[in-house]
Amino acid sequence: MVMTTILEIIFIILLAGIIGLFFLGLSRKIMARIHWRYGPPITQPLIDIIKLFNQTSMSHGFLFNFGIIFSLAGSVVVLLFLPFGRICPLSDSGGLLVILYLMLIAPLGLALSGGEAANPYTSIGISRKLLLAFGYELPLLLILLTVMTHYNTISIVEIVNKQFQAGWSFQHLSLLLPGIAYILILPAILGFRPFELIQAPQEISSGPMAEYSGKFLALTTIQHAFNIFISISLFTNLFLGGAANPGYFFLKILAVFVIFLFANAVFPRFRIEQAIKYLWRWPSILAFAGLIIVLITGKNF
Amino acid sequence: MDRNNLGKWLKSPGKMGQKYSLHALYFCTGCGIIEIPPSITTRWDAERFGVIPVATPRQANLFLITGYVSVKTLRYIIRSYEQMPEPKFTVGFGSCPINGGMYWDSYNTIKHLDKYIPVDGWIAGCMPRPEAVFVAVTHLWTLIDKGMADGYNKYRANYQYYRENQEKILGKLEWPPLFSKNIKHEEYRTIA
Amino acid sequence: MNLSIILAIAFGGALLTYFSGKISKKARDVLAVLISLVIAVILAFFYNTSSREIFYTGFLDFPLILRIDTFSWFFAFTIAVIGSFSIIFSLSYIRKKGNTDYYYTMMLLVIASMIGIILSGDLVSFYIFWEIMSWSTFLLISYNRGPAIAAGIKYIIMSVTGSVAMLVGIISLYSHYGTVIYTELSGLLYNASSGYTIFIFVLFFIALGIKNAIWPLHVWLPPAHSEAPSPFSAVLSGTLIKIGTYGIILLIYVIVKINVFLNLGEGIVSARYIIAVTGAITILIPTFIALLQDDAKRLLAWSTIAQAGYIILGIAYGTSESVASGMFHFFNHAIFKALLFMVVGAVEYRTNGVRDLNSLGGLIKKMPVTFVGGLIGICGLIGVPLTNGFVSKWLIYKTLIINNSPFLAFAALLGTWGTILYSYKLLHNMFLGQLPEKYEKLERAPFSMQLPIVILSLAIILFGILPGLPLKVINSIESGFGLEPLTINIWGITSDTGTINMLNLFVAVFLIGIMIWLIFKGSKKSAGIGQYDNYAAGTTVPKNKYHYSVDFYGPLHRMISPYLRDFIDDFYMSLARSIKNLGNGIRRIYTGDVGYYAIYIMLFLALLIFIQIKWKLW
Repeated sequence: MVMTTILEIIFIILLAGIIGLFFLGLSRKIMARIHWRYGPPITQPLIDIIKLFNQTSMSHGFLFNFGIIFSLAGSVVVLLFLPFGRICPLSDSGGLLVILYLMLIAPLGLALSGGEAANPYTSIGISRKLLLAFGYELPLLLILLTVMTHYNTISIVEIVNKQFQAGWSFQHLSLLLPGIAYILILPAILGFRPFELIQAPQEISSGPMAEYSGKFLALTTIQHAFNIFISISLFTNLFLGGAANPGYFFLKILAVFVIFLFANAVFPRFRIEQAIKYLWRWPSILAFAGLIIVLITGKNF
Repeated sequence: MDRNNLGKWLKSPGKMGQKYSLHALYFCTGCGIIEIPPSITTRWDAERFGVIPVATPRQANLFLITGYVSVKTLRYIIRSYEQMPEPKFTVGFGSCPINGGMYWDSYNTIKHLDKYIPVDGWIAGCMPRPEAVFVAVTHLWTLIDKGMADGYNKYRANYQYYRENQEKILGKLEWPPLFSKNIKHEEYRTIA
Repeated sequence: MNLSIILAIAFGGALLTYFSGKISKKARDVLAVLISLVIAVILAFFYNTSSREIFYTGFLDFPLILRIDTFSWFFAFTIAVIGSFSIIFSLSYIRKKGNTDYYYTMMLLVIASMIGIILSGDLVSFYIFWEIMSWSTFLLISYNRGPAIAAGIKYIIMSVTGSVAMLVGIISLYSHYGTVIYTELSGLLYNASSGYTIFIFVLFFIALGIKNAIWPLHVWLPPAHSEAPSPFSAVLSGTLIKIGTYGIILLIYVIVKINVFLNLGEGIVSARYIIAVTGAITILIPTFIALLQDDAKRLLAWSTIAQAGYIILGIAYGTSESVASGMFHFFNHAIFKALLFMVVGAVEYRTNGVRDLNSLGGLIKKMPVTFVGGLIGICGLIGVPLTNGFVSKWLIYKTLIINNSPFLAFAALLGTWGTILYSYKLLHNMFLGQLPEKYEKLERAPFSMQLPIVILSLAIILFGILPGLPLKVINSIESGFGLEPLTINIWGITSDTGTINMLNLFVAVFLIGIMIWLIFKGSKKSAGIGQYDNYAAGTTVPKNKYHYSVDFYGPLHRMISPYLRDFIDDFYMSLARSIKNLGNGIRRIYTGDVGYYAIYIMLFLALLIFIQIKWKLW
């Protein structure tokens, strides 16, 4: 029992890392193709990471190191709570609320690490990151509450199971609007354009990462890879019915990811006020309408 | 190009990583920077060689000095170079950094950049075309392969010399010396 | 052991401290710490006992009763422990200032009267101790003079208003039922008309709500918390406002009883729902206001109001999980908010009274222990998993979602995300970023400040990993209230609708953290650099200027600040002004000239005669 859990944990972490890095590479390739370029090889993120680990690095102190470890650990722990296909090692110790909370460890860790760097560029980046998170959490919380109220459970495994019985969440009218709202905010969660204002290399010198070098940058890249995997699989689990096996699940998240890449390739960048205004307007209205519909029509389960 | 040679990757991952992931810091000192946008966008696409621009010297390992170096910008070049993590490679772009170019008799242009920071390679021409950048990158690959792109080690070994040159032209520098003591020539051999 | 002995030690000790201060400063310090610790230790021995005694009968023939059970033990013990920590913290904090004897006496008096309130077994002694607490708090809030006096006066006016309302309520209860003892009152309201119950509720809620700073009765709190001496702010925020919470629990679950409370009104206009919505508003508005603050203590004060909202929401919602979460959050909030006020106090002490978030920065290098305390404190405040705030917040979200109140859950969740923003701002602007040159010679906080900070930080982690310890006590309180206890173990909570297991989480986080740490350590060692070797686009780093702290959330600030004027405060201030103008108008009648007074009397008599002729009233 314990042995299988440990094996599942190792399997999920490795697979999520590989898929995340593959997605990063794929995004660079597809973006290049949309730009009419040839693009780097799909393994380029891995090459970057290998190089970064072989570089020297500069550290600003204890918290600078601790923050990045904390952040990566937070991202990895979330993986254990997300159903990957049918595999979910720690399904019975928390549920969706715990996922929601664990997802905030990663930005908090980066914020602490960046704060220690004593560089205003990092501080501006962190300020933007927290504001953007505050912006998309409002619709996201409404969406998650709608889903949880609809299925009357806080367990993500149960939500996936109920979708196996009654079809994808998208098929229910009351969850259609929140689903659309989630699609609208997903680029903000992923940090894709038009919400790429956290790093904004041309404005604030890549923001929170301005002081990172060598292995710090490598760990941040890995964390970003995990983060992409987590955000998309949360969407897939909640609205696209999860999947019965890992292979099918991979195909689903791949499809979702590629759609967002197309958006990423063509959009310019919002300013932070514009981003918050956007996030608090259309996605929030849609999610709110969904919640009202769920409350009126009553629970389906 | 041996990017897909798995054997080499297993043998010396560090070296291969440095070769195929050159994160470039473009120092826009002069007109040379005009050649960089075409080389990183659709027409020539530097990213297929793993060369991408980054925002800060902390994240970079390739330093491209694009254009003439005035006395004022030399200070910033030195500062940026010292902040880059090792191993780091410097390439002078255009004839101005090499010998002053058309500013050969200007009173405030640096004629010999390699007196102040070590330079691993030069791209001659006024202007060099984007193709020249790629030639430079492939040359740099060869140098890295052979362990000859070791400007950063030279900088460490002869820091006293570089620092004296820098202070001769810039006056007293605001920041403390990067390396506290002058490493002996023999030690430099072991590092390299 | 007698309960009256605890009170005798507490009140006697307070006076004794004052006189010992006249003899020797050292003896006074030792005595103050000793008394507060002795009270805490004695209270600890009362765990899981219940006793009741009449300590005085001479007051208007009311038998004044003290009683202890698990419910009052839980509150009294928390108060005593936080109180003794803050007195230890005061040792060096208050040394620089004058009037030290007075400070310690008042501090002990506040703690003693709080314990008196908790232990009292009837409403009359509750009221007596309540008044002692209000007045001694007023004296401590205005300890610093200057703006502190205005803050204190604001506090005492609101507090007296509440006390009067409560007194009316107590008299009304006595005239209806002829008793003010909890055990005799409890359940009597079952037969009362719902109108009378609501009347009692409103009267008591004015008093308790003011103390607990429920929106819109919160206006005294921000100035009082920020102007009081920091160790006392810890007591104020950590425990004193929770006396209001205690009173509300007492009212709802001991005097009125849960079944009456839940049947008070229907649907949205039920008492349960109205109080819960008030709690939700108390979470949301102060959270947004806290985002805009630039004063460290004022930020924490607004945060206190917001967190009190969670407690009220939990208690009023009335399911066994929500009540447990309310009480657990009371306990957690007492720990982490006291800790955060101590952290701010330590910084204030070392920087000679600077608490402006725009002029600090980079203190992590100078005060590392204080910083770690602050970090763990904000983690608890946010509710990061493995800190104590997580479990209590998880419980309230869960019960709100499962019982189909998504909007209340939304308010609670959004409040948490606001908490992240302001608490990071607090930490960043004080401890992170560039260290100004003038603080380069700053020393660490003294030992007497570090000790409570370290102990409280450890407590946050301990109760985060082992939430079963306090939940066990809370469970036995709940069964006393007639609620169904939760199924808990030492690591967490199990139920059909959602399980939480901190052991799994702890092991997972710990092992994965260790793994990543090993990767980090195993790769190339990084070189340490200072704050002046930063990226600044090639230039040298400008000293004192390379710090982003003013307007940290500028864009959001510009968006929301027009909507967040504290109009409640404006309303009270205009009320106060109009009363003052009325008083001025009335004063003008008294000219001091006997002739005028004679005319007034004549006019009055003429009026009476006129009325008699016209309507023949008497």
